[in-house]
Amino acid sequence: MGDFSGNFKKGLIKSNPVLVLLLGLCPTLAVSTSLDNAFGMTAAVLFVLISANIIVSVIRKWTPDRVRIPVFIVVIASLVTIVDLTIQAFSPELSASLGIFIPLIVVNCIILGRAEAFASKNTILDSTADALGMGFGFGIAITIISFIRQLLGSGVLEAFGKKIVEVPGLVDNPMAIFLLPMGAFLVIGCLLATLRYTGVIANE
Amino acid sequence: MNQTDFRKDIMPVLFLTIVVCIAVIALTVVDGITGEKIAENDRQKTLEGLKEMFPEMDGFDMASDIDVFIIKIGDEVVGYAFNVTAQGYGGDIGLIVGIENTTLAEDDIILRGISITKHSETPALGAEIVKPYFKDQFEGLSASEVALTKDGGQIDAITGATISSSAVSNAVHDAIIEKAELIRTTILEVE
Repeated sequence: MGDFSGNFKKGLIKSNPVLVLLLGLCPTLAVSTSLDNAFGMTAAVLFVLISANIIVSVIRKWTPDRVRIPVFIVVIASLVTIVDLTIQAFSPELSASLGIFIPLIVVNCIILGRAEAFASKNTILDSTADALGMGFGFGIAITIISFIRQLLGSGVLEAFGKKIVEVPGLVDNPMAIFLLPMGAFLVIGCLLATLRYTGVIANE
Repeated sequence: MNQTDFRKDIMPVLFLTIVVCIAVIALTVVDGITGEKIAENDRQKTLEGLKEMFPEMDGFDMASDIDVFIIKIGDEVVGYAFNVTAQGYGGDIGLIVGIENTTLAEDDIILRGISITKHSETPALGAEIVKPYFKDQFEGLSASEVALTKDGGQIDAITGATISSSAVSNAVHDAIIEKAELIRTTILEVE
């Protein structure tokens, strides 16, 4: 397990947290309505995941087995609160659109899952690689889903306040269903089916 | 107490306590850095909402005992504004509602406008409450006209979002009557 790039790469595709392990679906489906949300959520998850993995890895030798889960939760919850307060202070708009899903990162199973399954048993370097891979894997998945939902649901692709592309005809009659929760399930279902069928994700 | 007992029973408690203490210190520091900025953002947002409804205002007083902003140009009172919370389809909808400076008897309340400060309504449906075509309908209405057209009022509901529309109009209707009464009994009688 001492291979930095191997630990990094496995989170991207082979054990992508969202598309393969199907972890953390709640925030993924709920906020993936625009590219801005996707980038904001990815940044927040990356920060929490990397810091949590590093801290958990650093204290893994001293952490008594019986209280390890409470310790992980305290570490993760503190990091999430730091992110939440920082976003509220410096980007109120992002905070308004991500809303409740920032505090909910605390119970995002990707983060607790990686702390328990990987960082509590591996070195700091390996844990950082794992967090980076898993974080970017989450980012890839939520960006693809947001891309599809924003394009079909509003007919306009926007990021950082700039219009990237506008689909003629779709702008006036957008398929708003894709911005609704059911649209999220439709998109991830079709996406998973396509990725399995084409063999991008291995069938077991 | 022997060594094994200490490692087995006391260590976990001690360790968790230390971790929590460190977390508390870290959070206190972050709160100290960001707290002021967050409060400032909230104030800014309220001020923007007030400015949107009363573009001519140059200041306001806060009647904090009844949570009413008294909007002023110099010393002249031009109107009143207050925060209202409506129960929407996807959670609370926060509004600022402005009324003109009239006698504020129940048949003499004139709405200046409404401004939505926060909501979590469905995108493309309930979230349309922030759009001018919906919220500008409230301008200049009297209390009895603030209701959906199907209930005999002047507000056209948003297609596909009747719950969000009626939540806003009902909350505004109830709030202006209640606050006008409060303003009449507390502020106007004193002055």
